[in-house]
Amino acid sequence: MVDPLKVSQGIAAAGLDVQSHRMRIIAENMANAQSTANTPGGDPYTRKTIVFSNDFDEALGSNLVGVEQIGKDPSPYRVERNPSHPAADADGNVKYPNVNILVEMADMRESNRSYEANLQMMKQSRSMVMMTIDMLRSS
Amino acid sequence: MLEQLLPAISGIGSSTPVQGDTSVRSRVAVTETGDDFGNMLARMASDTFDTLKAAEATSVAGITDKASVQQVVESVMAAEQSLQTALAVRDKVVSAYLEISRMTI
Repeated sequence: MVDPLKVSQGIAAAGLDVQSHRMRIIAENMANAQSTANTPGGDPYTRKTIVFSNDFDEALGSNLVGVEQIGKDPSPYRVERNPSHPAADADGNVKYPNVNILVEMADMRESNRSYEANLQMMKQSRSMVMMTIDMLRSS
Repeated sequence: MLEQLLPAISGIGSSTPVQGDTSVRSRVAVTETGDDFGNMLARMASDTFDTLKAAEATSVAGITDKASVQQVVESVMAAEQSLQTALAVRDKVVSAYLEISRMTI
């Protein structure tokens, strides 16, 4: 039998892990918000998306959150006219990534909040375990 | 550190202070057919030892960038909890043992 408080700590740790992966994807999207193609008329950086999954963990006997897959956003690229750009096509249009900084910022905040919530979960269950152990001590 | 604790704790279980064919001794013998208290303590101590070893391994992996910060913190915290439990139980066992040794005969 696994201690439920330890299980909740494991679940929260999985949450932290997943949110840090999410932050990595957001950082990648933000950093590449202006990354165009190397060749004229080529496709620029495509915004990456992260999909979470709920999978069963044998060791803990509970469902944990995990990263299902890292996909690509199929939405159209932003097109700007800039004939002097090396990545401009024959008409002088440059394709820019389909990354919206504001959306990424909102995503980042959400990820941050979720991380904090999981951290709080971990702290709380840890203090509950410690409180229980302390019952042995106070004599 | 726990290498020394392990034989000490299992030693407490096996060193029965009351020798001879007294009622206490025979009662101990009855319970020994099931799961011994000393065995339980020894198992607990070795579990703690395993958790500590795992935490150590994860910490080293974390330093060499093979494990994430979250994994390191989780395993070290699990180890700390097991160690605290082991310490609390050990203190309790030792104080019970001292209590018996202080018994007026």
